[in-house]
Amino acid sequence: MSGETATNGEIAGHGGVIHDLGYQYYEGPRLGRAAIIRALQWHSLRSAFGIGRGVRAKIVPVLTFAIMCLPAVANAISAARGGGRIVPYDTYLFRLRGLVMVIFVAAQAPELVSRDLRSHVLPLYFCRPMRRLDYPLAKLAAFTVACLALVEIPLLLLYLGTIVSAGGGAAIWNQTKALIPGLLIGVAWAVLFAAIGLALASLTGRRAYATGAIAIYFFLSWSLASILIGVTGGRPGPAASPLTSRLAGLVSPPTVLEGVRQWLGGTSISPVPRPGSVGVLYGVMFLVLLGASLGGLAARYRKAGLS
Amino acid sequence: MSDSRVIETAAGEPGVTETSVIETQALTKRYPRGVTALDGLTVAFAPGITGLIGANGAGKSTLIKILLGLVPPTSGRAIVLGRDTAASAERIRTLTGYMPEHDCLPPDVTGTEFVTHLGRMSGLPATAAKERAAESLRHVGLHEERYRLIGTYSTGMKQRVKLAQALVGDPRLLLLDEPTTGLDPGGRAAMLDLIARIGGEFGISIVVSSHLLGEVERICDHLVALERGGLLRADTMTSFTRVSHVLAVEVDEGRQELAAELTRRGLASRPDERALLVRLEGDATYDVVRDVIADLGLPLNRLEQRRRRVEELFRDDQAASHAPGGAA
Amino acid sequence: MSTIELSHVSRWYGNVVAINDITMTIGPGVTGLLGPNGAGKSTLLHLISGFLAPSRGELTVAGTASWHNPGIYRMVGLVPERDSVYSFLTGEAFVRTTAQLHKLPDPEAATRRAIGIVEMADAQDRRISTYSKGMRQRIKVAAALVHDPPVLLLDEPFNGMDPRQRLHMMDLLHRLGEQGRTILFSSHILEEVERLSGTIQVIVAGRLAASGDFRAIRRLMTSRPHVFMVRTSDDRRLGACLIGRPAVTGVELTGRGLQVRASDYGAFSRELAVLARDEGIRLRELLPADESLESVFAYLVET
Repeated sequence: MSGETATNGEIAGHGGVIHDLGYQYYEGPRLGRAAIIRALQWHSLRSAFGIGRGVRAKIVPVLTFAIMCLPAVANAISAARGGGRIVPYDTYLFRLRGLVMVIFVAAQAPELVSRDLRSHVLPLYFCRPMRRLDYPLAKLAAFTVACLALVEIPLLLLYLGTIVSAGGGAAIWNQTKALIPGLLIGVAWAVLFAAIGLALASLTGRRAYATGAIAIYFFLSWSLASILIGVTGGRPGPAASPLTSRLAGLVSPPTVLEGVRQWLGGTSISPVPRPGSVGVLYGVMFLVLLGASLGGLAARYRKAGLS
Repeated sequence: MSDSRVIETAAGEPGVTETSVIETQALTKRYPRGVTALDGLTVAFAPGITGLIGANGAGKSTLIKILLGLVPPTSGRAIVLGRDTAASAERIRTLTGYMPEHDCLPPDVTGTEFVTHLGRMSGLPATAAKERAAESLRHVGLHEERYRLIGTYSTGMKQRVKLAQALVGDPRLLLLDEPTTGLDPGGRAAMLDLIARIGGEFGISIVVSSHLLGEVERICDHLVALERGGLLRADTMTSFTRVSHVLAVEVDEGRQELAAELTRRGLASRPDERALLVRLEGDATYDVVRDVIADLGLPLNRLEQRRRRVEELFRDDQAASHAPGGAA
Repeated sequence: MSTIELSHVSRWYGNVVAINDITMTIGPGVTGLLGPNGAGKSTLLHLISGFLAPSRGELTVAGTASWHNPGIYRMVGLVPERDSVYSFLTGEAFVRTTAQLHKLPDPEAATRRAIGIVEMADAQDRRISTYSKGMRQRIKVAAALVHDPPVLLLDEPFNGMDPRQRLHMMDLLHRLGEQGRTILFSSHILEEVERLSGTIQVIVAGRLAASGDFRAIRRLMTSRPHVFMVRTSDDRRLGACLIGRPAVTGVELTGRGLQVRASDYGAFSRELAVLARDEGIRLRELLPADESLESVFAYLVET
């Protein structure tokens, strides 16, 4: 059998061919940092909702999402029967939203961040064409989107459920006007919860500890804030509350968010008393918490070495 | 094997002709508490498979970190594939693959998913990442196992996955850190064959950092030995394992008679473990040894010209000679 | 005497049989324990040191059973594979604590002696967390030696050691073996095992596949022809002559010389030089191609 090696490494002779299955060089396009970050974001977003990781990983995301949507759906049904919209856009149901967000963040932030720490896979990322901070950036972007979905989609469902039974363009326009501030404060919720959750989760590779740390931080600080508000005579509603009770809300992220909302003009009633003159402190505290989380994340990943 | 290679970069960039794949010039790295990891290291790595050896703490991992652009040097330069690490670290990381020594695999994804994901992290578009992941896994010899979770893999399979992820981005240079850790002898032999194949057939330059001098001798063309942050020696493997003028003869019995008869015929010898060492005075020595063994009817087990072994670099009686660094 | 004796020892965990009916004797000197990953080497070492009980069979060290026998800890020193040292202690403190746990009459002296044996005297007052891998291994050996046991067991002692550290450890074990102690160590690094131990024990899937000197083991494998590489002044002519001999079953001309397969090792090794001399062919090199520990091991594992 005569064989002649063709230029592509194939050997062809009378009636037979041997194909070259050797190593092929890659001649295609190589995408830059932006595409890599986006790919990592997408990968992380999927982890946040347990996609591609079996049924068990989806339980918490699906349940929390369902629970968060419940008031919107219930309100839509009652609106269809003639009742109005009871659930406000800007506070939604404050305690429910806070609780669900804490659970979601405590359960899922470790999925994005602690898993990689535990398996020591970071060197394999850092030896690739990306910069150190690209990693936490991608993770943060992805988790913020995940939290946004959890916060805003129920609001949109509430909106749609209401306008479907509303009558006329004026009513729809009123609903839209009320929705926008709700969506905006929802962004603040998503951003702050995502940042704090990831920062705390990045402290440990053990998912259980990370979940515990996040849950404990949120619940403890929130309980403390509630107790302080109660003890110092804080009252919901337009009447002024004592100064101490107006400051007590600075102690925990959910109450800080409520304070920011009211400082920016939100009118719905909430367990957190109207901050009044100290409103700007809530704005500052929001930025402080956000900044500390971002700084913590950056510091954590700048230091990670090759092992 | 030719000395120079044209390195084709992606997206049709003009290639760079190199006689060395890595070059350092007075590379120094000092850490805050007075620890000097690298001290004025000047060395060039030629294309092919190079063994990087040295004591723990000699500076091997620091060197690798600097080459990957992960740690800036305190002073000096490092040039990888023609690019300076200070200026083009990202570009270098596009062209290099790294296989760490430690466990770095998540247990709850499949081999395919993992390598594909890292392919995307190397900048490959989605389809290309999938295809190259499949190819890399095939080249390292992972077949149906690739669809199982990495947590179910044996040590050998895990090492192969680590190698596959280093290959997925089509690197021009591979940095392998102790690639045979934890492998049993069969696994080690398979991994060494794989590395030799990659360096030989695939045309990828490889730096293997290893403690196991036997395997370094087996697959590497060149050797770079570090000591206390500096260069101990850099050379081709053949010059390290030069033959000496000593012939080693092993007979299963009758060694003393052999020695005596050789002495009678004018050849001095001395015992060394199981062998008898005879000074080679020219080709005639071979014939005398053969004839003595034939005459005495002794069972000949081994006859070879003694070679130097890499390990001799590390014997305490060897004065640490800092040979002039240079290309192998 | 510090002999280890196993008689039909098995050890299982539910359905998993880690050690399957092993009978072996390990005497003074250095013995290497080899086997693929998961073959049962660590289990065997833990059985001998009394940390595990055999599910069946008898295991004695110097005549006394090792399980449920507190006295065994005086006779055996185990250097486990995992890092089981307390990093915040200094080397000296760690060894001394071990000595105290053994209720030795003079812990300080024993500590000094043990640390001297492993040559760690200048580093003994530093914390173990500052030690290199090789130093940690040596301090573990010191702790295992502090009560002067006649039997020393080491699980993968060369892991992570650089060449110089490895040479030191080999010298140390060699010396200890010469003193008459019984030393059993498991390793994957066959070059080390080849050099250090006279006898090996090979465990495959929980069973004892072979024991003894690996060359002797190789020669016992009579069903496999021995393979040699020969380089001469006229390979082809020699090959033609060799194939005429009954001891030779095959010759092959390769790029690296003449490869010869011999079914009768003894006959071939005596005939080669004679044949070469009679034909006037110069013998430059004869290398047994598969008499390495690596080949022997590969043969044992695949059967």
